[in-house]
Amino acid sequence: MLSEGMTLPDAVFTVVGKNTVVSVSLAEKVKARRVVIFAVPGAFTPTCDVAHMPSFVRTAAAFRQKGVDEIICISVNDPYVMQVWGQQSGATEAGITMLADAGAEFTLAVGMAYSKPAGGMLNRSRRYAMLVENGVVTHLHLEASTGVCDISGGEALLAVI
Amino acid sequence: MTISVGSSLPETNLAHMGENGPEIVSLHSLLKGRKVVVFALPGAFTGPCSTAHIPSFIRTAAAFRAKGVEDILCISVNDPFTLKAWGDATGATAAGITHLGDADGSFTKGLGMDFTAPHLGLIGRSNRYALMIDNGVITHANIDAPGVCEISTGEALLAEI
Repeated sequence: MLSEGMTLPDAVFTVVGKNTVVSVSLAEKVKARRVVIFAVPGAFTPTCDVAHMPSFVRTAAAFRQKGVDEIICISVNDPYVMQVWGQQSGATEAGITMLADAGAEFTLAVGMAYSKPAGGMLNRSRRYAMLVENGVVTHLHLEASTGVCDISGGEALLAVI
Repeated sequence: MTISVGSSLPETNLAHMGENGPEIVSLHSLLKGRKVVVFALPGAFTGPCSTAHIPSFIRTAAAFRAKGVEDILCISVNDPFTLKAWGDATGATAAGITHLGDADGSFTKGLGMDFTAPHLGLIGRSNRYALMIDNGVITHANIDAPGVCEISTGEALLAEI
């Protein structure tokens, strides 16, 4: 289960590159860097789209001023969907990296998966935001409910780092 | 089971975005006593699906209706939120095409139509096929080889019915 003080397991994510889909290693992303990672239940879902993502678009510059090297959004979607969502939500323009946990391997490995069959959502990610320093989770803001974006918002994480 | 002319699709629950959020619909309830076109593809916002397959049914939707087709259903292994965003973006929703999500992929897998390409971030997705179904019975089945979009297009099916 994801928690403060833990070292993140390595995981492979996918992202649409210039010509094809490329694989990205989480271990390489977080090694010797300060990285903000936030996870959402899904692209184009209401709370993610109107609250969670915009909160990081708004705070991206302020995070960088505090020495954050990269801001990463993780979701159990495929990289094609993540690419379009990043473009439509303004995340890509704000410099937020959209990583697809297409097979939910990372989300399952850190105990963050949930399912809501009536909503067509299977093995999706709970909503959280964290600061990761050299691979170690130093601040974790995990929402109790997937439909809420309160402590996992950009402003709330920014305030504690 | 496999798809074949003269047989029926198995009953399944599919996710659809209704006016008030996600809804679960029975496939058989949509097929009973009606002439319906069902086509399937790998996923929302993926290249050939957006640039070839969906447009072929948008172009032919009116012609299908002129031939007595009451509904055109597009099935893919996606969640209803992503499908709504995609349907709005491609014009499929405006053309009267209904997107249905086989969110857990069980329907697609049961038909033996699933494929997985981890390097593309596509897990348990559907190969392409297009079916003409009359009162639940498949009367025409155009099943494309994996990765191909030829005989499962709108025009190819339209020419046969």
